[in-house]
Amino acid sequence: MPELENALRAVGANLDYPAAPDLSGTVRRRLAEGERPREPFLRRRTLVVALAVLAVAVGAVLAVPQARSTIRDWLGIGNVTIRYVEELPPVDKATSDLGLGERVSLKEAEDRAGFDVQVPRVDDLDDPPKVYFREEDRQVGFLYGSEDDPKLLITQAGVGGAVEKLANIDATNTEFVVVEPGYRGVWLSGEKHGLFYPGAGREEPFRLVGNALVYENPSGVTVRIEAEISRDEALRIARSMH
Amino acid sequence: MGRPLTEAELVERAKRGDQDAYGELVHAYQGIAFRTAYVLTGSAAEAEDAAQDAFVKAFYALGRFRPGAELRPWLLRIVANEARNRRRSAGRRTNLALRAAADPLSGGAAPSPEANLLAGEQQARLLAAVDGLPDEQRDVVACRYFLELTEEETAAALGLRKGTVKSRLSRGLERLRRELEADGA
Repeated sequence: MPELENALRAVGANLDYPAAPDLSGTVRRRLAEGERPREPFLRRRTLVVALAVLAVAVGAVLAVPQARSTIRDWLGIGNVTIRYVEELPPVDKATSDLGLGERVSLKEAEDRAGFDVQVPRVDDLDDPPKVYFREEDRQVGFLYGSEDDPKLLITQAGVGGAVEKLANIDATNTEFVVVEPGYRGVWLSGEKHGLFYPGAGREEPFRLVGNALVYENPSGVTVRIEAEISRDEALRIARSMH
Repeated sequence: MGRPLTEAELVERAKRGDQDAYGELVHAYQGIAFRTAYVLTGSAAEAEDAAQDAFVKAFYALGRFRPGAELRPWLLRIVANEARNRRRSAGRRTNLALRAAADPLSGGAAPSPEANLLAGEQQARLLAAVDGLPDEQRDVVACRYFLELTEEETAAALGLRKGTVKSRLSRGLERLRRELEADGA
């Protein structure tokens, strides 16, 4: 398509660019005034997943052990179903296994996922994440931090497979959020909720999750962002994904 | 009078906190930084803010800049991040515009051969088609052809792998071609 490419270059050469401002003076003034960018949130907060801490966090909810709970309501976002129950399963069933599958390169993850994997472009995230692929639901996972000490977890999965979340109807807050104009997600906060992997029955170990943003992007990919961060910080990460 | 400092020397000085040295680097790259932000946001005001914030952030991030790496794509990545985040926050992008037909290019210089290829009306139609592309394709097309960035620079600026740049470019061009054909251009 060299003709089209040349035509595009012609358009580019004819764009009506505004006069470029002199930024060097303004930038130097801002630096001289000691202005600093916002502190990276990952240095301020950590995602704590130690079971002891989780046990304290959900202790009140799980005071009476109960393997099954009555589902009071449910909500579907992409391949994630959130079921609201009166009580979560006993905490001793919980696991710290992140269930991310195998470590792969980003390219391998993209090839195997079959969808356009998006990567967060937030300056705070200064190290490339560890990339994982889970075959069962073709889920791509980005882990910042380590499996033992995760700071931020982002997963993306196309159609097929199903992740189930159990949330306490009285203690977990659910808030609808607009991630991008035209499509919505939910922000889960408050008491931790349980996350079941695809294919795992209710009696199988589940993972307790704190704050999480869940949304489906316009390509039909379900994105989950988990970290002990605020809703706005999670949205900022979501909106940076390209 | 000593020789002018090289870019690598300016970077080293800036890393040590020399704001004058950093000012020289900003001066060298402010043009392409502003144009990049403008092409991504479509707004002069947003582009100026994005480029300015990006340069401030980049100063404090210089410690992570690898010695020997190219500064321009590294800076453009920070600028592009800022610009696209602003575009997302605004929830919209202002469409780009062409120079008025009677307005001579760059201070009366003769138009480039490429600029002569298409009549004004056709250029406007092509620009509208580019603006109508999904952002992920539009950004790649704009970086490659409007800003004349190389594939490597486009990949760096947009934080993509080179293969992803190629595939998005291919899909974008194919979509433009179909739309222009349907439009009778």
